[in-house]
Amino acid sequence: MSALLLSSALNLCSGPPLVSLDFPSTPALALPRGSRNQKIRKLKAGFWESIRSGILKNNTAQVIEPASTAEEEVPFPEEFVLVERTRPDGTVEQIIFSSGGNVDVYDLQALCDKVGWPRRPLSKLAAALRNSYLVATLHSISKSAGEEGNGQKKLIGMARATSDHAFNATIWDVLVDPSYQGQGLGKALIEKLIRALLQRDIGNISLFADSQVVEFYRNLGFEPDPEGIKGMFWYPKY
Amino acid sequence: MLLPTQIPIVPNPLPPKTLTRPRRRDAAVSAAYSVSDESLSARGFTFHRSTERLNLDHLNSVFASVGFPRRDLEKIRTALEHTDAVVWAEYEKTRRPVAFARATGDGVFNAIIWDVVVDPSFQGIGLGKAVMERTVAALLRKGIRNIALYSEPRVLGFYRPLGFVADPGGIRGMVYVRKPKK
Repeated sequence: MSALLLSSALNLCSGPPLVSLDFPSTPALALPRGSRNQKIRKLKAGFWESIRSGILKNNTAQVIEPASTAEEEVPFPEEFVLVERTRPDGTVEQIIFSSGGNVDVYDLQALCDKVGWPRRPLSKLAAALRNSYLVATLHSISKSAGEEGNGQKKLIGMARATSDHAFNATIWDVLVDPSYQGQGLGKALIEKLIRALLQRDIGNISLFADSQVVEFYRNLGFEPDPEGIKGMFWYPKY
Repeated sequence: MLLPTQIPIVPNPLPPKTLTRPRRRDAAVSAAYSVSDESLSARGFTFHRSTERLNLDHLNSVFASVGFPRRDLEKIRTALEHTDAVVWAEYEKTRRPVAFARATGDGVFNAIIWDVVVDPSFQGIGLGKAVMERTVAALLRKGIRNIALYSEPRVLGFYRPLGFVADPGGIRGMVYVRKPKK
């Protein structure tokens, strides 16, 4: 995936160009996330050992995906390691996918800054996340060789979907940290988000894509203007 | 998203085309309805902005009358519980819904309008437009400015005079249709 394709964070049009951002700025609010329960899938010890020995031997990146079939019961919210790799200096980096929506709103704003989106009030960002049906995130966790404990965690990608909880879901705000683009992470993020939505029986998944990312979403199974149905916007800023 | 077959002749609330776009949008935000609630009430229609008195079975019948598949009532109920705005017109004589629209979103930035329907027996008299104007107004009152919808090709002409633009800036509406090819 070229950097150009993922430039400006996949630019779904909830991205600021269309929104008249004339809300007064409000004091920053922390995103209340305590009530949400996150189940972390524990990988079996044997599996970890095999991965670890593979890493130490080859120093290559491994893509670890949970072995799930369509019939398997997947607990929600999900959290699992998407990629694990060892850097030359020995630090181990894991990219973690989560559908639990555990997003620090300050981290999110920093990520939006990184991809070049105009600022949106923190309180509104927090509200938008709270009101979203599913918030999927990618976090990077880095641990020095031999370091115990949690390591350094940072938000490197996010996508969220709003929904009526029954029929339709719409994906908004897809973004991946520019330094992590071009590695298939955006693709994985959307694939997992779609799977989570389908598993919740949401039959209609839609989104609005800037022209330069239409191909990206086509490759993920989306079709533009199916049966000639057109996306329309009320007095867009374009 | 299925709509009246005729565009009703009512005064156009939009400002003249000579204004620049941002001012046109601002004017549209504060524009009054093409036809007022009172005027519609005089014709026998009451507008509701909540689902409180909405009979879901009757609503399902309206959906069926315009060709939607009949949907599970419980799912409709769930969908309506997670809505940012809902507007429906009740025909006082029968006490049944005859026009409907709902919008979902994140409550602050974005909303999508779904299920815009007018009972075929009541099409062509401005109810679709009335329901749309009120839905948009309800969203604007909440501060939501990014309002979108998916329109079937034959009713693009219905949404355009209401201020909707297709594919602005080359943005395309996309729908998930299949598993991606490997």
